Amino acid sequence: MRRSTRVKKYIQTSGEVSDFSKLPLHKKFSIPDLLYVGYGLLIVFLVLVSYVLGAFNLLPNDPQQINMDMLMAPPGTGGHLLGTDFMGRDIQSRLILGIQAYFLPGLLAIFISLSIGIVLGVLAGYRGGYAETVITYFTNLVDSFPRLVLILLVIAAFKPDIYYIMMVMGITGVPAVANAIAGKIRVLAQKNFIEAAIALGLRTRVIILKHILWYNCRALLIIQATLGMGEAILLETSLSYLGFGVQEPTPSWGNMVQSGANYFMQGNFWPSTAPALAILFTILGFNLLGDGLNNMLEGKRSR
Amino acid sequence: MKQISIIVVLALSVLGFVAGESQAADLKKTTRPNGGTLSYGEYGRPATLDPITSNEMISMRLSELIFNGLVGISERQEIVPELAQRWEASKDGRTYTFFLRKDVTWHPKPGEEAKPFTANDVVFTYNIMMNPKTITPLKVRYEFIEKAEMLDEYTVQFTLKRPVLNALAKFSFKIIPRHGPSNPLYLTREDNFVQHPIGTGPYMLKNVTADREIVLVANEKYFKGRPHIDQFTAKPFADQNILTQALTFNAIDMIVLVNPRSIAEIQGDKRFILQPYNALSYSFFGYNLRNPLLADKRVRQAFGYAVNRQEMLDAFFNGQGTIISGPFAPGSWAYNLDVQPMPFNTQKATDLLREAGFKPGADGIMQKDGKKLELTLMVPIEKESEAVKRVVLAFQNYLKNIGVSVKVEFKEWQAWKENVFADHSFDIIFASWVFDDSADISSLFHSAEIGPWKNNFGSYSNPEVDALIVESKLTLDHEKRRTINRKLHALLADEAPYTFLWTLTNYSAYHKKLQHVAIHPYKFFSYADDWYIPVAAQK
Repeated sequence: MRRSTRVKKYIQTSGEVSDFSKLPLHKKFSIPDLLYVGYGLLIVFLVLVSYVLGAFNLLPNDPQQINMDMLMAPPGTGGHLLGTDFMGRDIQSRLILGIQAYFLPGLLAIFISLSIGIVLGVLAGYRGGYAETVITYFTNLVDSFPRLVLILLVIAAFKPDIYYIMMVMGITGVPAVANAIAGKIRVLAQKNFIEAAIALGLRTRVIILKHILWYNCRALLIIQATLGMGEAILLETSLSYLGFGVQEPTPSWGNMVQSGANYFMQGNFWPSTAPALAILFTILGFNLLGDGLNNMLEGKRSR
Repeated sequence: MKQISIIVVLALSVLGFVAGESQAADLKKTTRPNGGTLSYGEYGRPATLDPITSNEMISMRLSELIFNGLVGISERQEIVPELAQRWEASKDGRTYTFFLRKDVTWHPKPGEEAKPFTANDVVFTYNIMMNPKTITPLKVRYEFIEKAEMLDEYTVQFTLKRPVLNALAKFSFKIIPRHGPSNPLYLTREDNFVQHPIGTGPYMLKNVTADREIVLVANEKYFKGRPHIDQFTAKPFADQNILTQALTFNAIDMIVLVNPRSIAEIQGDKRFILQPYNALSYSFFGYNLRNPLLADKRVRQAFGYAVNRQEMLDAFFNGQGTIISGPFAPGSWAYNLDVQPMPFNTQKATDLLREAGFKPGADGIMQKDGKKLELTLMVPIEKESEAVKRVVLAFQNYLKNIGVSVKVEFKEWQAWKENVFADHSFDIIFASWVFDDSADISSLFHSAEIGPWKNNFGSYSNPEVDALIVESKLTLDHEKRRTINRKLHALLADEAPYTFLWTLTNYSAYHKKLQHVAIHPYKFFSYADDWYIPVAAQK
């Protein structure tokens, strides 16, 4: 796509030879897109930092230390920057540690939906015919199951474990990826460069992996991945509200909001507000990142 | 707070007798005004509305408004006539003859004449209750009755298998009409009757609205006289915070069981009255003695010393409760006040573990012969379980302090019940028992009660306890029985098959406009026909 954009640019500038790749960023892309991506990358950076801090136990306080004399202490008391929760545990530390609940399980969900989705999408889009019919039926079937009900079934059968939940999420995410890829391939198949590649005798493997997936679908895949991470957090939060998310004493943003909400009406707003804001800004970051990258890489808003 | 309540329905036991005829109906003061409506909030909605198939406290409370028993329990805990006008007991204590009131009619079905209540209905109720196909928690409670016979239209006789202490109180079960259930032999939850009950009580079911509100209206022909308040509405709530908010915004007039968290909020509001009532119940940690680590009495005692009950009660329940020492609910006559609850003593707990042969390992966890003291605490998932969650997390923390690792495992409710009562695949549970006969703990600790779906889930077996339980059941002398139960209490407190925790004080909150409110400890609405609302407050 980038290549064709460059050609377009070249023609538009009529005579004046300018290399698109050498343009300054703000000329290449729109300002909002740059802001979106910048904010998104900041969130990704913060998530990574939090993950590392949690993994190496570099937290301001012990997140599991119960203090029955300091239940729901307001922010700032006794060295607790964000206060304490319903068991007197430090909210700030639990907030940082909470990202552990999403990071690897979220990646697992993304990996499942992307890997299976790509295979099915390519089969349906490139092969067409019989394979396409079967895959369309399959994706429709998966799509027709309500995701939450499916997850509750799995939990009832096994136990509430974030990895089970994310596996189900990954599988239910397959149809979206598969359909997007198949649709894209159907469009590309009519383009001259694919026809040319086939005519030149390139192997099918090369055409699919390089010319279709790498050059033309990577933006789409990055977007699906970033959206998937945001969705993982949101899904865990809604399950936590039903009591089926990550279970105590392991902290997750979802179960922090849920347990804090019980005390909201009594005026103790911080135990649920802090994780709720974290969820808001993180999901916003992932979604804006996906949006911005979409505009940039697909060149929809480029000048 | 909603507890994991398992209702032990055994038998109602009450001190003292008032035999013969008393004019309950005439005692009613006729000066109280009629009129007004009362809507009360319940946390959750009942599956069935009849007194036989239901096992929930919500339907039990509704049954109290819709139905009557042969005898009732007065506010002073005396047995008073209800559907039976008077009774006679044979000298050997094996036959009880009840002479029924002749002026009682069933609530009319829509468009039909009200049918009279007769002895036929009593025999019918007994038979349907005992039919093996009827699923009811009441069956075990009445196995002591051999048969029920109708002597004439208004006389019914029960023959007992053996004489039973306080047998009369057990005839307070609710009577249902012969023309009620569509199947005359047994009652299932599919029967229309369980959703459209017909009773003799002060209130009759009008309808269940689309929002699942249960609307009851005054029974004009109630045999004790028309109840004062025109209409009772039970409103279901799925969230306890909203329940409290509904009260403060006047959407409801009463909460039958106030969430401990909200007590302070309601207390500060002058429009409401907060009334405590004691249910016969307690919370505990129960141990699975099939696990050899927990079979050692010293280990269980150590856990009892490691737990700071008072701190938890104060921090999580605003101190609204009583710490207990043994297997009987406090407030029960069987409770032994001489036995002190285990004090909080970490040193003693550690000493007991060392005595039992445990030594701290490299990771700080106690171990014996290379076996670590690691246990699983199984907890059911309930949406509104944060009080449970708090106790469980605090327990985990207390045991960590004495070098015991507890893994908390949350399970979906059905799966939890199966794990605990059928598969016995747990080490520790946190739960509560609710008693209606606080003196009968045989189903909890007798060794004959070990097995799938039986209440002795921890497989506690001790011949001495078995002997005392049987002795207590067979004794007809009240004082003797008291002595036996006190012994039993002391023994089980020392044996520590459970870590006994506390009884919570239940609070009901209601609007000041309600007058003459008396509350029965667990049936709640037993005296609701005497409640009234002054004309000025009726609106």
